[in-house]
Amino acid sequence: MVEERDTKTLVRKFVPRVFKAIFLVFLTSLPLHFLSAFMEPLQSFSFGYVPLTNIFTLVFIILLVLDVFTSGTIYQYVFGVARALVVMLFFIYVLNGGVVALAIPLGGATVNVMVDLRVILAMIVLICLLGMSKNVVQAIDFVSGKVETEEL
Amino acid sequence: MRYVVRALGWATKILWIFIVFFAATSVYSALNVRMGFGQPQISVSSGFVLISVPLFVNNTGFYDLSELNMTADVTDFNGSLLSSSSTFVALIPRNSSVDTAHNISINLDDATSQLQFYLFNDTIFNMNLSLKVKFARTVPFQASMNTTIPWGAPLYNFSIGQISYNYLNFTHQEVLIPISFENHSPYFGVDGFMRVEIYNDNDELLGFGASGLNVPSHSSYDGQVGMVVEVSKITGRGEVHFYFETSAFSIGPLVMPYG
Repeated sequence: MVEERDTKTLVRKFVPRVFKAIFLVFLTSLPLHFLSAFMEPLQSFSFGYVPLTNIFTLVFIILLVLDVFTSGTIYQYVFGVARALVVMLFFIYVLNGGVVALAIPLGGATVNVMVDLRVILAMIVLICLLGMSKNVVQAIDFVSGKVETEEL
Repeated sequence: MRYVVRALGWATKILWIFIVFFAATSVYSALNVRMGFGQPQISVSSGFVLISVPLFVNNTGFYDLSELNMTADVTDFNGSLLSSSSTFVALIPRNSSVDTAHNISINLDDATSQLQFYLFNDTIFNMNLSLKVKFARTVPFQASMNTTIPWGAPLYNFSIGQISYNYLNFTHQEVLIPISFENHSPYFGVDGFMRVEIYNDNDELLGFGASGLNVPSHSSYDGQVGMVVEVSKITGRGEVHFYFETSAFSIGPLVMPYG
């Protein structure tokens, strides 16, 4: 009787999380898929970003799923911080520290193109830092709430 | 604590939306900027070679283009700088276009020591083109390329043939100096006149003559200049000095030995 109740609680607890995880993975993989497709034509200009984007997508989705399954625990915020960190490092690497340089062959000559995206990168880093600080504050709130509950 | 978390959450969401919106509209705008170069016009006057490259920019994107700066550095085969020029357009607002021309001026008289080399030898000039523009006033963009400009010598293979003497009287003779060269220049013709002075091996001036020149691009000149000289001064050896006054360049004396 008790075992049956436990299984029911477990199912009630995890089934919505599974659906939430599937929904979030679907929602996240769409823009990442487009990002990969957008970078595909740039492969010919010695970009190694498509495989990197795929690895990033995989890591991001794994962290997202772990985040969903560990919700209600301190690990949720740990994975949240890790996700923000992964996003930040990915953009720093992909944008080459903010200065993207390409060599495009054009009718026998080579045109060197350089785009300075440091302002954009600074904004992305700022957003990621905000995301990390949000998770840290949430973690502190979670721990303090738990301590208060235990004291009561 | 909850308010702090909520504020940070909203700030993150708003900034992500802003950056995604900016990135999407920037890419769309960049794809709608048309930029190109027209056919270069090359002219020569008063010792200057002027290369005028028409440049047009049609900005139909969402953002302004600012601080457009185009520079062209021309160097010779040694890497010596012959010309440096730049064109600056302060602002190209969205939904507008700009037609301008980038002028590259090479002063042939500036490089007198090298001018002789360019007059008699085919070579190539290296041109380093660079274009800088600020997109949406925040994203600097730069494109650069190296290209070569072929240079054809206007007096290629300049030479004098066998000098001949025609008897006039006991004291004077007519000297005929055959001259030939090829104008390899694709840019200009050799139009003007040439003054020729002949000296004996004692550096005494025997006589001088002049000839008009009208040698179009990619054509050759084969003519002779005649002058009357004193028989007593003729030694059979010496130097011929050439002075050129053309629409493209002025140079002289160019010294060639004879005999």
